[in-house]
Amino acid sequence: MSSRRPHPAWAPWLFLAPFLLFFAAFGAWPLVRSFMLAFEQTFGPRTTVYVGTLNFRFLLHDPLFWAAVRNTAVFTIGTLVVQVPVALALALLLNRPDLRGRALFRLIFFSPTIVGSIFVGVIFSLLLEKRSGLVNTVLHAAFHSWNPDFPWVDGFVMPSLLIASLWLSVGFNMSYLLAALQNVPGDQLDAAAIDGANAWQRFRHVTLPAIQPVIGILVLLTVVGALQLFDLPFILYADSFGNGPNNAALSIVTYLYQTGFRSGDLGYASAIGWILTIILVLIALGYRWLTREEDAAA
Amino acid sequence: MKSFFAGIVRTLSPGISLVLGLGIISAVIVALLPLQPRGGIEIWLGDGNHANLYRALAPEWNRRHPDLPLTVSLISGPALQSRMLSGFYSGTPLPDLIEVERGQIGQVFAGPLQDVGFVDLTDLLARDGLAHEMDSASYSPWTSRGRIFGLPRGAHPVMLAYRSDLVEAAGIDVKQIETWDDYFRLMRPLLQDLDGDGYIDRYPLTISLTNASFSEIFLIQGGGGYFDGMGNPLLNSDANVRIVARLATWYAGPGRVIGDINMYTGAGLRLLREGYAVAIPSADWYVGNLPVTLPSLAGKIKLMPLPAWERGGRRTSANGGTMIGVTKASKHPEIAWELAKFLYFSPVIARQLYDLTHIVSPVKSTWGASYYDRPEPYFCGQPVGRLLQQAIPDIPPRPSSPYLSSAVQLVNSVITQLMAITDRQGYVRPEQAAGDARRLLDEAQHTLLDQIHRNVFQAQAIP
Repeated sequence: MSSRRPHPAWAPWLFLAPFLLFFAAFGAWPLVRSFMLAFEQTFGPRTTVYVGTLNFRFLLHDPLFWAAVRNTAVFTIGTLVVQVPVALALALLLNRPDLRGRALFRLIFFSPTIVGSIFVGVIFSLLLEKRSGLVNTVLHAAFHSWNPDFPWVDGFVMPSLLIASLWLSVGFNMSYLLAALQNVPGDQLDAAAIDGANAWQRFRHVTLPAIQPVIGILVLLTVVGALQLFDLPFILYADSFGNGPNNAALSIVTYLYQTGFRSGDLGYASAIGWILTIILVLIALGYRWLTREEDAAA
Repeated sequence: MKSFFAGIVRTLSPGISLVLGLGIISAVIVALLPLQPRGGIEIWLGDGNHANLYRALAPEWNRRHPDLPLTVSLISGPALQSRMLSGFYSGTPLPDLIEVERGQIGQVFAGPLQDVGFVDLTDLLARDGLAHEMDSASYSPWTSRGRIFGLPRGAHPVMLAYRSDLVEAAGIDVKQIETWDDYFRLMRPLLQDLDGDGYIDRYPLTISLTNASFSEIFLIQGGGGYFDGMGNPLLNSDANVRIVARLATWYAGPGRVIGDINMYTGAGLRLLREGYAVAIPSADWYVGNLPVTLPSLAGKIKLMPLPAWERGGRRTSANGGTMIGVTKASKHPEIAWELAKFLYFSPVIARQLYDLTHIVSPVKSTWGASYYDRPEPYFCGQPVGRLLQQAIPDIPPRPSSPYLSSAVQLVNSVITQLMAITDRQGYVRPEQAAGDARRLLDEAQHTLLDQIHRNVFQAQAIP
């Protein structure tokens, strides 16, 4: 039996110190500073003027901010409505034991996630190009009446973003759901089948409740990710710095970037950032409230 | 303290103590290492062609200033902007001189005039008798609240580059074109559905309306624009209303005559090559790019002056641009100013820059140079340099503002909305769209003024 010397009381703090220092320098202080900035007008950190709640009051009447909020909300809802069901459908398809080449399909569906959003943005901007893009070229070749100048990107801003986002993220969501499906107890499914439940009833009453916690997490991740929309519109609508035609692609984060880093108004950008933070916190709290019974049962 | 270290040694294993000790020692050594003092004069820039030209001139400069040798640092555009703004805002290291593109300059002027990170050159230009040596409009993008902060690299006149093979095959004489109305009337035969599928495959003019710079080309040519010389927004000016209404009816509705491609992309270049576009507005630097990006069009492209908005009107515009400025962080501002003059007023560099890029110098004394008269086979033997140079005196000013990008977005948004209305209402004549253009531009002006008035640093200048 080995004897161990007692650690001095400050030993844990010594080990925590590197993290605490880094967190204080790069996490806590920037948060505090950005909160202070939200009440200032700045021209760089050296030239600042305290303006009280002016930045927040201006936000309330800023048409560009509200356009950004509207676009972000539509994108979030669209992403949620499209992505989770499609991911679930793909996961159910790949979960069939009789399906051949499951590993290959998994790789194919997951691969866009690996390449990243910038690459996906570039690919879609080429695919959806008016006259020379692959989509219009193929459609015009197949259907002579198809307009080769069909304005996918300019005329259908949100659908273009949603399709690109779906292609980018559906594989990621699918892999989570597939893992959850593989953990659904087989004996329960067998018992339901013996009791005469058809495929839909087995899915509705056995599979779905079993994978519900994973769906909940995916919904939360999807909403949080969609609210931070930036890179896809920034690439697809690079000509207009991510705004798109008539600001139809302008998201909250794009507007934050433009005000902070193109117009140099760090105070206003901080105010936008804090509004986005409050929205995200409210959504997270709402999620916790909705799942409180499951948490209690666990 | 002694017990603290003893405690550490007792608590940690010998190996971890050794790693920790080495880490602390190396950190201390690195912290104590003396910084290499930056010697000489340094320029940051983002253009490879400019960098090569300046590096080639470094030996001459170094011979004159052996104690202050020249260092040219080529930095990519976004990194250059970030480092420049960090330096201006927070005092991080900056060079003596920076070359900045037009899209990067607005933010530099956002604060109080005395906090602009570049040296005010207005008095230096007057002192050295250089105030009128350059084309005056070329200073406008680098001027804020009446003070000049940079020397312009090029004049950047805009002409119309057109497919002479297609135009001449159609029997069209471009000499008969004076106005845009003439242009679209005479070029009408080139508005073609080539494959009979019911869709237009060739447009007399092609621009990308989502690309911000195109609206500015047309607005300033027609006497409109975004700001006046003191930074006051002019979005709802009569000229803007007239031009925006015209653009909408060119671009949408039953009378559409303009194709939409982004000529800065590979896809856009391909469509130019394939004849989807008959003509594109082209600044000097874009003219210089054409032989490189579209070599197969050699002998099939010519330049002509932009058609005017009305008879006797302006036949050119301006697009793009770069300036050089002396930073306030420079330890040798007078020498840096001397270098700026050396690089920007040099007839040798003006010629080399033209040969390399077709950028024409705004320095008036270079305008008579014979290299501008050289016939160019790519452009069917036209003396392209002379055509561009002759357009310079007519270039309209392009006043700068920290709100330029906002103004551009707002006007582009107006054009997009007006195009939708034009499509819906079936407008053909600009007068039909003028009422909607006025309303939308009034709203845009109101939005922009709200933004500007919120800026306590700018509000003093804007009534």
